[in-house]
Amino acid sequence: MSEERGAEEVHDLDPRDFFERVHSFEFWFHSVEGYLSGTVYGHRPRTAERPLAADERERLVTVLCNYCVGETAALEGASGLVAIAPNRQTKVFLATQVVDEGRHLEVLLHRLAELGVADPEAEVERRASPAIREFRRHLLELVASKDWEAALFAQNVVLEAMEFTVFQSHARSADPVTAEVLQGIVKDERRHIGFGENELGRRLRESPHRRARLMEVKRDLDALVLETFEETLRDLGLPAAERPDLGRGYLAAVARLGFGR
Amino acid sequence: MSDPLERAPAGEAPRRRFELDDQGFDEVPAKYRRFYRHWQGAGDALGPNEVICPVCKIVIRSTRELRSGDRLYCMACMTRLRVREGEAGRLEADCEY
Repeated sequence: MSEERGAEEVHDLDPRDFFERVHSFEFWFHSVEGYLSGTVYGHRPRTAERPLAADERERLVTVLCNYCVGETAALEGASGLVAIAPNRQTKVFLATQVVDEGRHLEVLLHRLAELGVADPEAEVERRASPAIREFRRHLLELVASKDWEAALFAQNVVLEAMEFTVFQSHARSADPVTAEVLQGIVKDERRHIGFGENELGRRLRESPHRRARLMEVKRDLDALVLETFEETLRDLGLPAAERPDLGRGYLAAVARLGFGR
Repeated sequence: MSDPLERAPAGEAPRRRFELDDQGFDEVPAKYRRFYRHWQGAGDALGPNEVICPVCKIVIRSTRELRSGDRLYCMACMTRLRVREGEAGRLEADCEY
């Protein structure tokens, strides 16, 4: 067996060793290297543009503007959470998430420019939906109040689950360049949703009384999240029958954490 | 790594071993890639050394045949899992926080 392939069966790792490894900057760096190496602003330079009809381009620009608000919320949220994270490993992981979210915002704004939007940030301000703006406001309030579990739940379970589902669905029907940008983001989101669920799972196991507070947050955000889901997929022009079960990933995650609907 | 044939408790059949190849899963560092693959949808099937991560839906692979009670790690979403026998005898995995 070569050194590159590694001598160990990964599943034989001690749980503490696994925890330490996957929360490290080293792990993050070698993970993203695998799928971002050779890309420029989130896609391969030689991927050809598919001409878009005017109405298709309009809908895509609106959807990307909403994604930019979600990514801005996550960038601001994750950077705020670094300060209140309970230990070194979660601080380091969140630092890598800040980098991921910053990259997402950058590649989405760049994609808007590639689509001919002269001032992408002004366009985001003009087009973003009230529901996603309201979600951002809620999230940043939770971060500002230093409510670790509630803010992490809002950001890494609710928001990330929504983005994971919507981006995957959108990538399947998108033009080739947008699809590559979204597929790269989804690969990052896999780490973010796992981090949120696992960290909250550990906290709830140790302090079950925190469950009531998270139920309150869930009640506040559920409608907002589903409205944002619906708006985005409607803007994408997907027929209802072809839309994914929007809440499925989110509901499965909260069910694993012990929350009923 | 200890030999699984030595691990099989008395009365249980020895576990089969599997040589894992890299199937192009590029979301974890190179030395871990062979332990994971993407689910290919309709027409795909899990091997006796594979389960689906309930959190991120990646297929997790082991060099040995899996059995109920085994521990697995999904490095793609950083989750520790425990294997159990699900409906119809298919192996599934639960999160261990």
